Amino acid sequence: MLLSLRYLLLIICGASFGLLAAAGVFTVLVAVGLIPRFAGKTHTAKKVMLYEEMVIAGTVIGGLVSVFERYCHIGDWLLQQGLPHRLLQMAGNAFLVIFGILAGMFIGCLALAIAEMLDSVPIFARRVGFRHGLGIAISAMAAGKLVGSLFYFAVQLHEVIP
Amino acid sequence: MAEPICYIKLNRNVEVREQEVRLQDVGRVRCADTVVAAKVKNIRVHHFKKNEENKTGRKESRKEKFEEKRCVISVLKIIELIEEAVPGVTVESLGENDVLIEWVDVDRHKGFKQGIKIFLVAVISFFGTAFTIMAYHNDIGIADVFAQIHRIVMGEEPQGVSVLEAAYSVGLALGIILFFNHVGGRRLTKDPTPIEVEMRVYETDVNNALIETAEREGRTIDAS
Repeated sequence: MLLSLRYLLLIICGASFGLLAAAGVFTVLVAVGLIPRFAGKTHTAKKVMLYEEMVIAGTVIGGLVSVFERYCHIGDWLLQQGLPHRLLQMAGNAFLVIFGILAGMFIGCLALAIAEMLDSVPIFARRVGFRHGLGIAISAMAAGKLVGSLFYFAVQLHEVIP
Repeated sequence: MAEPICYIKLNRNVEVREQEVRLQDVGRVRCADTVVAAKVKNIRVHHFKKNEENKTGRKESRKEKFEEKRCVISVLKIIELIEEAVPGVTVESLGENDVLIEWVDVDRHKGFKQGIKIFLVAVISFFGTAFTIMAYHNDIGIADVFAQIHRIVMGEEPQGVSVLEAAYSVGLALGIILFFNHVGGRRLTKDPTPIEVEMRVYETDVNNALIETAEREGRTIDAS
């Protein structure tokens, strides 16, 4: 009796954590308006439904993978099935490259979209009195992100943070 | 007989396929006199120049190509055109003050390139959001939090898949589907989805920006 009550409490906790985490993710995505920008830039507003489906699928699958990380070692599992190690390594690297590029593009857009949403770019441009050269500034920002990211991984800055 | 009043209602933004833009393409016309109405509807408001028509140099023509894709027309110009076509008519404008006309190529909304773009945006959305949720979980140290809650409630270490994790995953999926309001292409309620709403907001912003830029640069086609 007591045990099942405890389980019930756990279930309620878990479900409400999930619902509100979803609310957080959702708010960030909608407030920044990233997907409409993608759709607007590519003139594919008709496919917004598809993009939303992908957002849903991505969030759910990403959530599953990171919560049940210990059951998601697909590489190990495939190795045990007797697939050649070299082939697996190549396929794995290819997937990592694709995943890295796509996730990086998304995060890059998100970072600049947030900067733009907070109006830092227009305010900056106005303060400095830009007429032209905003493109150069944006390119410099992109280069800064690239260098900063490489630097972060190169000197393992994440090790510094406890 | 006095000339009837001609009511026009311009749209904010229109996409046209034809090179010749008629008044009926950019707004609605209402006039009690059907002859006048038909005449007004057929007024040519703009003619998009094809690229070959003004080829002066490579760079020039590229710029021209970019600029001739869209134009902003003021309602005053439209009124002027109507007055020219039907002298003595009274025009009442009920719609927007400026209309943004975009000339789209017929093959822009289909084809291989379009498919590639759709695919690219779809995979970026998928992997990007998968990455953000994983980074978020990593950030908050979700495994530790869950283990802690499990210890508090059950008084023991979690083994295997804990109920908490399963419930969390279900909640996450449920929440995001609830907020986005559709699953598998089927809407749960009749409201537009939040991204569709955001899409319209974005579109309005872009239209306003284009119209205001045209105005500031003096490119609006206005009455002389």
